[in-house]
Amino acid sequence: MTKKKKSILSDQRFIVLIVVIALTAVFSFMSKEFRQYNTLLSLLDFSYYDLLMAIGVTFPLITGGVDLSIGTGMVCYALIGGTLIRSHGVPVVVAMLVCVLLGVLIGILNGVLIGVMNLPPFLATLCTCMITRGAGSLCTATPWPGLTQEGGWFHSIFKLTIGTGRSADRYPIGFLWMVILVLLMEFVLNHTKFGRYTIAIGSNKEAAALSGINVKFYHVMVYVVCGLFTGLAAIAYAAVTPTVQPGTGAGLEMDAIGGVFVGGVAATGGYGSVLGTFVGIFVIMLLKTGLPYVGLQANWQQIITGLVLIVAVLIDIIKEKKAAAL
Amino acid sequence: MKIKKLIALGLCAAMVSSMTVAPVFAAEEEATEEAAETEEAAAEEETTEEAADPAAQFEGLKANEAYEFPMMVKSFQSTYWQAAVEGMQKAADELGVTFTPQGPNSESDIADQVNMINTAIAAKPVGLGLAACDTSSVTEALEKCAADGIPVVTFDTGVADAPEGSVVAEVVTDNTQAGAVAAENMYGAIKDVIANAEGQVIIGEVNQDATAQNIQMRGAGFINKMIELIQADGKTVAVAGNEFYVNAAEGADAKEADADVVIQVAVPAQTTVELCSTEAQAILSKENCIAIFGSNQVAAEGVLAANANLNVLGSDAAAGDVIGVGFDAGSIIKAAVQDGTFLGAVTQSPLMMGYYAIYALTAAANGDEVEDVPTAGYWYDATNMEDESIAPNLYD
Repeated sequence: MTKKKKSILSDQRFIVLIVVIALTAVFSFMSKEFRQYNTLLSLLDFSYYDLLMAIGVTFPLITGGVDLSIGTGMVCYALIGGTLIRSHGVPVVVAMLVCVLLGVLIGILNGVLIGVMNLPPFLATLCTCMITRGAGSLCTATPWPGLTQEGGWFHSIFKLTIGTGRSADRYPIGFLWMVILVLLMEFVLNHTKFGRYTIAIGSNKEAAALSGINVKFYHVMVYVVCGLFTGLAAIAYAAVTPTVQPGTGAGLEMDAIGGVFVGGVAATGGYGSVLGTFVGIFVIMLLKTGLPYVGLQANWQQIITGLVLIVAVLIDIIKEKKAAAL
Repeated sequence: MKIKKLIALGLCAAMVSSMTVAPVFAAEEEATEEAAETEEAAAEEETTEEAADPAAQFEGLKANEAYEFPMMVKSFQSTYWQAAVEGMQKAADELGVTFTPQGPNSESDIADQVNMINTAIAAKPVGLGLAACDTSSVTEALEKCAADGIPVVTFDTGVADAPEGSVVAEVVTDNTQAGAVAAENMYGAIKDVIANAEGQVIIGEVNQDATAQNIQMRGAGFINKMIELIQADGKTVAVAGNEFYVNAAEGADAKEADADVVIQVAVPAQTTVELCSTEAQAILSKENCIAIFGSNQVAAEGVLAANANLNVLGSDAAAGDVIGVGFDAGSIIKAAVQDGTFLGAVTQSPLMMGYYAIYALTAAANGDEVEDVPTAGYWYDATNMEDESIAPNLYD
C-alpha cells in the first residue's frame, strides 16, 4: 500500500457514498412511493441482517479468504432458535444467545479448517454452508414470536414501535446500533492487534508468520468474528421474516459479500474497511428495494447488481495498478 | 498433488451435500401422532363426500402386495408438505403399503429434485408419486418411467405435457378454481370501492414464480375471474407487470394508462419471503392500491411482511383499508385471517392430496385403471376457520 496522501475523491468509500446518494435521488425522482418514510423503514428492516453478515465477512475477505456459510448459517441458527422457542418453551433471550453461540461454533470450525488445517477457504466454508443448510432443513418452518406476542420484545431492538396498529409510530433504532457496531469494528480493524494482523495475513501470510505473529490463532479468530456477526444476523433475520423457512438462505451470503466488495475491500485481500462495507451494503439494498418501485421486473435487479459489482471491482483493480505504477 | 487433494475434498463435499438432502424426515414421526385427531375429522368428512367424488373409484381397494412408493415432494420447507405426508401416512396405514418421502431443500432447487427422481427411478419402484418443482424439467424422467412401465401419480402439481403413458393419474387442486375462489371473495369486498372510484385503482397479485404449473394456473385463475367480475359491472381492466401472467390473462380490454382497474402482477427473482415482501411493498405503497392477493404461503407472508410497516391492510374497504387475501395456511396467515388483517384465504387440502396419491398409486400398482382426482380450494375467513370441513387443512 502506498503511503502517499490520497485525495478524498480517490477513496472508494467516498465514490460509493456518492453512488448511494445518486441511487436514492434517481429512485425518489422516478417513484413518489419510494419517497415515503415507510420505504426507508422497510429498507432498513431488511438491511440489518445483510449488514451484520457483511461486517463479519469483511474480515475473512480482508485476509484473502471468504465465508460462504454465512447465509445458510444465519437461517439455520434462526431456525434452531425458533424451534427452541416454539417447541421447547425456551425464553427468547436464551434462543438469541444460542444463535450467537452457534455462530461462534461454526466460526471456530471454519477457522480451524482454514487457519490450522490449511483447507482453501472457499472449500471449507462451502462444506459448512452445506452442513448448516442441511441442519436447518431438519427443523420445520418456524415463526419467532410476533411483535404483540409473548417474547416479541426482541423486535424492539431493531425497530421501536410506539402505539398499535395504524396510529403506531415506528423508529428504526436498529440503524443506531449498526452505526455503533460499524464504528467499533472499524476501530478494531485499524487500531487493535487483531485488526492489524488480519490485514497482515491478507497482505502476506508468510511474512506475517516470519515476523512472529501467531498466524494460526489470528486466522481462526477472523472466522470466529465472522461467525459471531452471523449469529447476530440470525436474530435480525428472525425479527423481520414472518416465518423462517428451512432450506432457504443459500444466496443471501452473496448480497453481503457483494456489498463488501462494492465497499472497496481488495479482491485479493490485504485491504478493506468496515465503513466501506457499511456504504457498500446500502448500494445493494437500494438496488434491491428501489428497482421494484420503478417497475423493473425482479430479474433485472440481479443483472444490474452484478454489473455494479463488476464496476466496483474494476475500480479497485485500476486503483491498485495506479498505486503500483507510482 | 494439491489438485488431487482438492478433487478429493470436492467429492467429500458433494457426498456430504447429498447426505443432507437425503430423505431425513425427522418431523414425520411426531407429526403422525399429532395428526391422529385431525385425521379422524378428515376421515368423517371424506365418507360424507365420497358418493359424488371421483375418489369413489378407490372403494374397497386393497394392495395386492406390500408396495413401496417413493414420494417426491417439492421440499420440506413448509408445513404444507408435512400435511401432505400425514395424508400419505394415513393411506399407507390403511392399505398396508409403505412410502419414502423425498424432496430437495427448497422449491427452487429444480436440479436437485430431478436428480432425486432419476435416482428413485433407477431403483425400478412399483410406482412413483411426484410433485414437480418445475414441470418442464421432469419430461425426460417421465419418459423413462413410461419406458420402464413405472406408473406415476402426480400430486399437488400436474404435468400438463407429460409423455404418453407415464402419468396414470393426477391428484391436484383445481388451481384455476382455487384462484377464482380468491377473486370472487375479494371482489365482494371491493365491489363498491371500484364502482365509486374516481380515477384508476390497482389490484395487486404476488406470485412466487412463473414456472410451476399450479402457481401459473392459480395466478391466471384469479386474474381471469377478476377481469370477468369487473367487466360484468361495466368497468375496464388492464393487466400489468410480469410478462407470463400478462400474456395468460384473457379478456383484458384496456391499456394500462386508461383502464379503470389495473391488475398489477409481481414475481420475485427468488422464492423468498423477503423478495415477495419487497414486491408487495412496491404495490401496496401506491395510493390507489385497493386490494392484494398472495397466491401461496410464501407470497402471502411476503404481503404480510410488507404490511408490517405500511399498515394498510384491513377488512373495511369503504374506510380505505386495502383488502388482503392469502392462500394456504401456516400460523402467520391464520393469525392474519383471524384478526382481520386478511379478509380471508383459500386453502387446499394437502392432507387429502397426499392421501389420494397413495390410493391412486396402489390401484395403479395393482394394475387397475385410475382416474384423476381433483381436490377443491376452499375459502376460509375468521367465521369458518373452526369448521370441521376446513380446520383439518389449516396446518400451522
